Amino acid sequence: MSMVSTEHLYKEYGRIMAVKDVSFEVELGEIVGFLGPNGAGKTTTMKMLTGYMPPTAGTARIAGHDISEEPLEARRHTGYMPENVPLYDDMRVYEYLYYRAKLKGLIGKSVRSQVGYVMDRCGLESKRKSMINTLSKGYRQRVGLADALLGEPELLILDEPTNGLDPNQIRQIRELVRSLAEEHTVILSTHILSEVEMICNKVIIIDNGEIKAADTPENLTKGLRAAGRVSVEYKGELETVMKELHAIPSVKKIIYEGTLPDGWQRLVVRAEPGTDTREKAAAIIQHHGYPLRHVYRHIPSLEDVFVEMTRHD
Amino acid sequence: MSEVEKTKEQALMRNTSWLYTLRTLYSRELRVYFCTSFGWVIFACTMALLGFCLQAVIQVMSKATGEGVMYYMLNNINFWFFFIFLFPLITMRSFAEEERQGTLEGLLTAPVTTSQIILGKYLAAYTFYLLLWVPLLLYPWMSHLANTYTEWRYGIKAEGEITYLLADWIGPYAILSLSGAFFIAVGLLCSAMTRSQIIAGILCTSFMISYYFLGRVTELWGEFPAAPIFHYISCTEQVSSFSRGLLDTRPLVLYLSLTVLTLACVKRVVDYRRWTR
Repeated sequence: MSMVSTEHLYKEYGRIMAVKDVSFEVELGEIVGFLGPNGAGKTTTMKMLTGYMPPTAGTARIAGHDISEEPLEARRHTGYMPENVPLYDDMRVYEYLYYRAKLKGLIGKSVRSQVGYVMDRCGLESKRKSMINTLSKGYRQRVGLADALLGEPELLILDEPTNGLDPNQIRQIRELVRSLAEEHTVILSTHILSEVEMICNKVIIIDNGEIKAADTPENLTKGLRAAGRVSVEYKGELETVMKELHAIPSVKKIIYEGTLPDGWQRLVVRAEPGTDTREKAAAIIQHHGYPLRHVYRHIPSLEDVFVEMTRHD
Repeated sequence: MSEVEKTKEQALMRNTSWLYTLRTLYSRELRVYFCTSFGWVIFACTMALLGFCLQAVIQVMSKATGEGVMYYMLNNINFWFFFIFLFPLITMRSFAEEERQGTLEGLLTAPVTTSQIILGKYLAAYTFYLLLWVPLLLYPWMSHLANTYTEWRYGIKAEGEITYLLADWIGPYAILSLSGAFFIAVGLLCSAMTRSQIIAGILCTSFMISYYFLGRVTELWGEFPAAPIFHYISCTEQVSSFSRGLLDTRPLVLYLSLTVLTLACVKRVVDYRRWTR
């Protein structure tokens, strides 16, 4: 059984369609990265999954519970960390977590043990008695995450968990999310693509409210235009080299990127995805006896996928 | 880590009953009044303003008509002047502030129903409102203290002591809690309609002032065919008769039904606003 399955979700804000026909499945134990430009509908989709906003049409199931027919059951299986982590500023960290634990139905000893567990997990022990309004952004984020973990939900929905943090904090939160993935299914949205590459095993790219792609990062980058690109830097004559490079069967286009300040020329060879033209290109240049200092095959990243899928020009 | 692992292995004890969740919400809401300066400021100001109304004690002594001190305190323009502003102050932050801060999102995505959230907020605000009147019960004791002192210091036995007579106190408390139940619900409705505390406050204040004046329409226009309606809803008239010790079931029906209706409206508003958010 899949952890989350959405069927043709639509959300309309007045005349604007924020989410159009979004259907996807998340299997148990997956870490899914939700990618998309600002305003693409990521947050809206997440808010519908958590039951904060009802969908205009369509439905979703969380652990088999329909979000509109059994909202409480669905929410009991979900831990949600909203964007910007709204918290009660007038409470202390442990008070807030106690309150949230009780709100999720925990009682007696379970409240204490769960709060202790999530504080330990999120590194909040030292801030136990701090007022929430005195916490730094990084710690607020951790409190939000701790809140989401309370009650052992199977599914975690994290809306931009690393938004606005410094690189060290981002690394810490990333490690935390990665370690959480052992026991939870995670859906997270972010703008940091390298992060998704590092921790997610499935990526959903959403743009203009529609799903553009949903696959593993490897599969997404495989068929990319940028995949076969090779760049070369050498010193020597241009015309014949370009002509000979073009003669290689898999090559589609040669781009002359100009002479670098130190006098070396830079060429970019565009070839079929999945081919490697480095050896042939090097051989051609060396055949002429020109000095060669750089041959590089572009490794396609999620950034390329993202740009290719969501570019509007 | 062993302790952590041990905790993980234990099955979590849960209580998903309706009342348990309501109690959690209620105590959090009540906390807002007493663990921040907000509630205490309202409390202190109300006490001070009620002190002004206590000048009515002088009337008790001079007239000696048999009505209790509460009658003179509540049928007094000083009292109405701040009474109608109490409700917007108590309720305006409840939903508006949560929505502005975004904490409503955390609340609505927890496994709780909208009704529980509304009832939790309502009961907490109402409890706070009821507690505002408790210190009044100290007045007879204080007046007794003052009289004893006067007698000891000057040898004069003072008349007109404020007494703990059930008939003097039950009526005023009954009407204050009945009308308060409705006015708090109205305040909650205003707060649920907007994310701005100021706007919620303005809405509720306008309602309170209109309601107050509707009750006085007959004073301005005399009796006319529709006048009984205005008598029926007149808060000032109800307070006047109740504080004399005349208990009446009509306001009970009026305010309880209006409270239920208003709370139902709050639920509609909160649910409706989720669609448009």
